Amino acid sequence: MTAAASLDSRRLGRWALNGAAGLALALILLPLIFVTWLAFFRQEIPSFPPEGYSLRWFAAIANEKKFVDGFSLSLRLGVIATLIGLALGVPAALCVARFRFRGREALNSLLLLPLVVPGVVLGTSMYVFHVETENALDVDVLGTFWALAAGHVIIVIPWVVRLVTASLAGFDRTIEEAAQNLGANPLTTFFRVTLPMIRPGIVAAGLFGFVTSFGNLEMSLFLVGPGRTTLPIAILQYLEWRIDPTIAAVSVLQILLIGGAMLITDRFVKISRVV
Amino acid sequence: MAVASTATTTTTTASARLIAAEERGGARLTAASLVAPATVLVAIGLLIPLVILFRYSLNEFVAQRKLMVEAVTIANYVKFFTDPYYVNILVRTLRVSVTVTAICLVLGFPLAYVLARTQSRFKNLLIMLVVLPLFVGNAVRAAGWMTLFGSKGAINATLMGLGVISTPIEIMYTETAVIIGIAAVNLPFMVLSLQSVIEGISRDVEEAAFSLGANPLAMFRRVLWPLALPGVLAGTILTFILGMNAYATPVLLGGPKFQMMGPLVYGQFAGVNNWPFGAAISFILMTATLLLTVAANLIVQRRYKR
Repeated sequence: MTAAASLDSRRLGRWALNGAAGLALALILLPLIFVTWLAFFRQEIPSFPPEGYSLRWFAAIANEKKFVDGFSLSLRLGVIATLIGLALGVPAALCVARFRFRGREALNSLLLLPLVVPGVVLGTSMYVFHVETENALDVDVLGTFWALAAGHVIIVIPWVVRLVTASLAGFDRTIEEAAQNLGANPLTTFFRVTLPMIRPGIVAAGLFGFVTSFGNLEMSLFLVGPGRTTLPIAILQYLEWRIDPTIAAVSVLQILLIGGAMLITDRFVKISRVV
Repeated sequence: MAVASTATTTTTTASARLIAAEERGGARLTAASLVAPATVLVAIGLLIPLVILFRYSLNEFVAQRKLMVEAVTIANYVKFFTDPYYVNILVRTLRVSVTVTAICLVLGFPLAYVLARTQSRFKNLLIMLVVLPLFVGNAVRAAGWMTLFGSKGAINATLMGLGVISTPIEIMYTETAVIIGIAAVNLPFMVLSLQSVIEGISRDVEEAAFSLGANPLAMFRRVLWPLALPGVLAGTILTFILGMNAYATPVLLGGPKFQMMGPLVYGQFAGVNNWPFGAAISFILMTATLLLTVAANLIVQRRYKR
């Protein structure tokens, strides 16, 4: 093969590569682009090309009680689940990353298990668990806010453990020893030395935990009580019935919220390094 | 003198050992108190529920009274595998998942490669664009596809405007729509799994292959692919699992008549209240996913570890 021919084949290869990469990116982004476009249509029917453009659908969301309530519930759930998930997950990650003991691998797998179990199975198993607890203890469990929140904490924990463990992997322990030699007690050492150094990992864990909880659909579907819906469930139920600019506007707000959260997180820790 | 010094050494080592043991004991206590809360929550909140769910799957269901009766029977599992209706749903779920995984691999590898190798200052932004849809939620993305696929949607409007077709083609509520939708949902996972592995492969080995006369295809097949295999395996498994367990996409793009395993489980619980059968389907779904994942691992290991 001549050098020219080989260069040609490399150029051809590069074209094919870029073409396929572009197609993949399009497949990932197209739905978001089109749902955003639809949110600005003037007419209610999603037919192309649009007859004109309008912003009124965004104002209309405020009157849709289901979306307002769903958003408020999802936000509360996300914040609470993330805070509790961090409070439980960060110490657990410290333990898994720092100590060598028998059954450590098994423990790690258990903490990551909620990521592996299918969402529908998470939902069904927690549902029957809530039924059984309700029968055994004679208190309301099924469909209550805290039962739902407990489920969300369980799906936040594996993200926290994973990301904080990763950020502890490159940690120089002599710095902690230095602090203790200088007279700091373990608690001071943790808050003044360890915590600031693993902050990027914790911020990333908080973001991933929050969006996992905020966007969860399958598990929540089984756990919400009557008259209570999270935002993803409200969106799903609306879409089962129809697609129009109102739901598109709701989608745009969700895209903006999540995108904003990611941009803020990116200032603390480069997203490309933690995913 | 010599004896005395030995004695002192012994005492020192003994006391050092004692301190070490005390420290180890303390460390054990610290470790336990750190990890216990999260572990207990996951164990109570997930392991016990899974056990109860499995127990439920062995119960009986009295259809007339819509009641669950305690029993120990495999009737629910037998019912699933002897009724062609349910077997078809399992087969369809497998078919969709395998197709989706293949699409994700073919399209995801090039994108992952470009992202891993690019020197562009927009690299971080590009990666965020890949990650963002991951977090936006499946229902929202399905809404996007509904805008594209509908009879008056963007695709049909474009094709009819160009005169390619005269009547709208049906894309919504077909298997194709579901496959495209799930593939788009799963692509970011595949891309991210592959990208991290490709970034770890030195560019020099590619250049070495080229300078030895390999064309791009040969370089890919003989150098890049084998080196990227761990990422390929991780991405493939993740994509396959997510495909098997898809819920929102088949419900919204497949319509009420298009059944996959995820929606089927929900229907048994919420629709007809048949908890034992729903529990059995949950376990069949989980087992099928796990078995195929393990099988894929074994096949790849056997072929490439030698």
